[in-house]
Amino acid sequence: MTVARDIKRSDAPAPAGGRAPTAGGSTITVDIADMKVTDNRSAKLITHSLGSCIGVTIWDPEVRVGGMIHYMLPDATLSPDKAKLKPAMFASTGVPALFRAAFALGAVKKRMIVKVAGGSSLLDDNGTFNIGKRNYVMLRKLLWKNDILIQAEDVGGSISRTLVLDVATGRVVIRNRNGEVEL
Amino acid sequence: MIELSVLLDRIDALPPLPATSVRLINVIGDPSASVTDIVEVIKYDQALTSEVLRLCNSAYFGLSRQIASLNDAMVCLGTLKLLQLVMSVHANAMLTLPQEGYGLEAGMLWRQSVATALAAADFAKRVRYQNVNLAFTAGLLHDIGKIVLSRHVAEEFTAILAQVNEKKCTFVEAEREVLGFDHTQVGGLVAERWKLPEAIVRCIKYQYEPQRLNPPDALVDVVYLGNCVCLMMGIALGTDGLTYRADDAVAARYKLAEPDLEAVGMSMFSELERIAYFRDETPAAQEASL
Repeated sequence: MTVARDIKRSDAPAPAGGRAPTAGGSTITVDIADMKVTDNRSAKLITHSLGSCIGVTIWDPEVRVGGMIHYMLPDATLSPDKAKLKPAMFASTGVPALFRAAFALGAVKKRMIVKVAGGSSLLDDNGTFNIGKRNYVMLRKLLWKNDILIQAEDVGGSISRTLVLDVATGRVVIRNRNGEVEL
Repeated sequence: MIELSVLLDRIDALPPLPATSVRLINVIGDPSASVTDIVEVIKYDQALTSEVLRLCNSAYFGLSRQIASLNDAMVCLGTLKLLQLVMSVHANAMLTLPQEGYGLEAGMLWRQSVATALAAADFAKRVRYQNVNLAFTAGLLHDIGKIVLSRHVAEEFTAILAQVNEKKCTFVEAEREVLGFDHTQVGGLVAERWKLPEAIVRCIKYQYEPQRLNPPDALVDVVYLGNCVCLMMGIALGTDGLTYRADDAVAARYKLAEPDLEAVGMSMFSELERIAYFRDETPAAQEASL
């Protein structure tokens, strides 16, 4: 678990021509099997290459605390050892850890706005290959048990997605090969 | 549509595989070759040897003592891991360039190729396929066709994407429809040009359609399964995304179920982080990413 606070340095590659850098802002990259939480209002959290993996963003509009996870697999019972080392690899350990980290920065559960992206699958997937669906089902189960609603989501299909959360505004944007959409 | 002659010219213009790679791939593909034969090939390539030793001694491997020779490395890491390291380092030059047509930035094709190689080797062990090293190598080379076809895909990207979106077909089917060739066919041509073992050529050609082979080919199957897992795990995905077909029958042949696929995905990811570590340290890799 990584709590990124007051990160000044940009972890992302320099923006390509045309896209202006955020004034004074920083971009915090969330890798695969990784999560980040921040109360830096000028920060953007970004994760790339969501396939069957799922990206979840959480944001508390009052204290402007934002968090993001990019988990690979549904259930940590697959490898409890791995889950100890890298809780964000699994939904079952990572998602609770993400919320706890945000609570530690002053976020409150009932104010939290939750958005979800990813969970893609291969074409013709009939069972063995549906990690995307299992990832999504596990998330729904976890959130339902904890009385947390998903406000918006873009899941399924066979595309790769990039997910961005702007901590200042709570705006969530998804980029894929067809363009960019706001969630 | 591309003319075959244009493709063949482009394939001819590719830099040849380094001599060490050719020898290594052939030794790996030879069932009668031993580990000693493999080490013999590596040790005559000084640049490769020193790169491997540098990497073995890097913090990531956390070995308690200095690795001074290839034999040392073999003892500490085991031959399979050493070979995986060697092949990955060696393939870097060939696979590191950006491939615009597939939306792959510098280093991404290398990353997804190494990931597929690791997952294919893992499946090979699980299904008791006899040559795990060959599965790794075939996985590493499965997408070489993208290097040649990328430019053409970039030119016709809108048309290819329209096919994929409207017909719900796979990315390779759309490539065939729009360009006349797909990256598995082109990859097969490259592999033949480079005189790679026939077993590897088959993996490249049938990488998305193992069911077309009758009787089934276990090597093609494990590369297919490895590739599927890496696509799902989202390792350096390009614009083709997950637009390929899942085929439960291939997994069923070996009684592989969902937890097996998840376990392969998990260990592939850990091994990939280890092998990818060298890129962050290598000046060449840093230049490529600028």
